[in-house]
Amino acid sequence: MRSVIHILVVAATFVREMVAGSARNVATAFVQIWANKGRSILTTLGIIIAVTSTITVVSLVQGFGDHMTKTFRGYGTQYMVVRPYDPSGNHRHGVGRVTLDMGDLEAIRAECPHIHRSTPFVYARDGTITYGLETAEEVPVRGVSEQYQTIRNFFVDTGRFFGPIDIDSAANVIVLGRTVLKKLECDDSIVGQYVEMYGERFLVIGILESKGSNMGDDQDNTVMIPYSTATNMFPSQRRYFQFLVEATSEEDIAAADWEMTRVLRTRHRLEPGQPNDFRISRQDQTLREFDRFRNIASGVLGGIVSISLLVGGIGIMNIMLVSVTERTREIGLRKSIGGRRRDIMLQFLTEAVVLCTLGGAVGVSLAYVLTYIASLHPNMVPISVPYWTVILALGCAAGTGVVFGIIPAFKAAILHPIEALRHE
Amino acid sequence: MSDNGKTSAKLIELTNLEKIYRVGTELIRALRGVSLTIAENEYVAIMGPSGSGKSTLMNIIGCLDIPTSGTYSLRGQDVSKLSQSRLARIRGRQIGFVFQTFELLPRTTALKNVQLPLMYAQTSNKRKRAMHALELVGLTDRAAHRPNQLSGGQKQRVAIARALAQEPDIILADEPTGNLDSKTGEEIMNIFDWLNDKGQTIIVVTHEKEIAARCKRVIRLLDGRIASDELNERGLRTSAERPTSMARAVS
Ligand SMILES: Nc1ncnc2c1ncn2[C@@H]1O[C@H](COP(=O)(O)OP(=O)(O)OP(=O)(O)O)[C@@H](O)[C@H]1O
Ligand SMILES: [Mg+2]
Repeated sequence: MRSVIHILVVAATFVREMVAGSARNVATAFVQIWANKGRSILTTLGIIIAVTSTITVVSLVQGFGDHMTKTFRGYGTQYMVVRPYDPSGNHRHGVGRVTLDMGDLEAIRAECPHIHRSTPFVYARDGTITYGLETAEEVPVRGVSEQYQTIRNFFVDTGRFFGPIDIDSAANVIVLGRTVLKKLECDDSIVGQYVEMYGERFLVIGILESKGSNMGDDQDNTVMIPYSTATNMFPSQRRYFQFLVEATSEEDIAAADWEMTRVLRTRHRLEPGQPNDFRISRQDQTLREFDRFRNIASGVLGGIVSISLLVGGIGIMNIMLVSVTERTREIGLRKSIGGRRRDIMLQFLTEAVVLCTLGGAVGVSLAYVLTYIASLHPNMVPISVPYWTVILALGCAAGTGVVFGIIPAFKAAILHPIEALRHE
Repeated sequence: MSDNGKTSAKLIELTNLEKIYRVGTELIRALRGVSLTIAENEYVAIMGPSGSGKSTLMNIIGCLDIPTSGTYSLRGQDVSKLSQSRLARIRGRQIGFVFQTFELLPRTTALKNVQLPLMYAQTSNKRKRAMHALELVGLTDRAAHRPNQLSGGQKQRVAIARALAQEPDIILADEPTGNLDSKTGEEIMNIFDWLNDKGQTIIVVTHEKEIAARCKRVIRLLDGRIASDELNERGLRTSAERPTSMARAVS
């Protein structure tokens, strides 16, 4: 019992000593750093740059990543795009050749149990839309079926989307995006009216909800017509016929991919060993690819940071060695009035850590400024500095101070008091 | 309070102290068997030609250096066998060093300079004690001044206050007036006289006869040996007046 109390008392004294000593050392460090302002700034430049660049780049990558993930989730992650693809790449097919057709899609619908929904997808020529005196020029036109809105989470919020009857009859009906509406300078009352496109009249049956813009690409600057209408008007677009399909669940994406590949290869009579003449892009893969990119970027960044911290740390060590030499007499004096080795050691170590942490703090502030400036760009995704990077950066900076401050601090601590006091 | 050398307990006891420096292959015998006893409340001047070993002896007494051979006991404790950190502790609590070149920390106020030994010793009431020490040397009104705002004499008084702050057993002053003009030097010695009168043990290394004349005992070194060790009749005053320069600050 008594020994426990004794240990507690010793521990308490030690902690009190450490705290009191640290406060004094930090104060001394600030005085010292302030006395050598210019030198301190130059010395910590390496650390400032390391911290600033890391936090800025991480914030940007993070911002883009979050934005991308959110965008993909918003459009649904279960869908896949099936495109015609020329595996040889270099020689062109004859005009009018169709690599994917409705027969392919029907086969997929019939034989792939993991496909839930599907729609043909045709990019018609960009259209110029006229309504009264107003025109909206070069609007991307998508030819799709009614399944499209469910697969892409892109619904109308006024009027209706076209249905199977419009598609079977290749009706001249059109659904407008919000930006197009704005260009035509009209409101939702346009539903039920006619607009002109490709020299034909289209009945406006619905307005798409607003999706905002994705990395500078305005998602609302679009119109949709039945795919049958699009292929009737532009038969040559048939060779760009694509499918949008949705797997029964996110887990079934791989199975659906495999099923479609099998069905299409059979229908296209591809021998084993022959490459696919189509390509299936999966959103989960795109996301995964982006994650891979993010990881590589983090790795490269980590390397750059370690190198710059190393360089910065050597700078710190150098300046601390200079400082110890300059202040040899002070060290001798401190020893002569009762400073122990560990007191001197701690003093110089604290100085190195404070110097580095200050550099880190300056770096963090600069990073905030840089990300703010980046966020001013009109097409910039929302970015913010993640808190963990700030904590991590300051931690690394302080750690650099400890690692590279040890040798100078030790050098100071073991000085002989008399020799130190005799130092010229 | 005290009367001449036949005072209380032995404070410092040196027996056959040797200090040998090795420079390359050459051996320099700075001290060659010094035996010496100093009691409490003594006021000792150490004189001798340059290179006779005065500073070497002071550094050993001040636990800043260790002898090559011989023993040193401070208040009965054998100091020559102590660890670095115990020696630092003794320097901080039992010894007050005053240097020829003051050795004040630049960019640090007089008060903070005086507080420094108290901080290393983890003493409580640091501010109060430091202010008291400054009061003893008559510099309370300069507490917030930095060394570059003080005259040489004032700097040395701050250094004395720093040495006094921990109420040490001995004040060791190695040529404390060496960098001062004779009038300022006299002021510093007035403070020492007064402190000794109040019971402080003081050892002063000096080249000047006038300064040695104020002390109660004069030890002369020659080539690392004690050449003479005598009581100084003139130094045995009954009491020293409080230095006039300080009267203002205290009253
Ligand atoms: N660190 C050292 N290395 C080698 N020799 C030294 C060292 N310190 C002192 N000495 C030598 O020891 C001898 C005594 O030196 P010390 O400094 O004690 O003399 P001093 O009496 O204080 O002289 P001064 O009056 O000039 O200050 C001298 O010969 C000196 O050269
Ligand atoms: Mg000397």
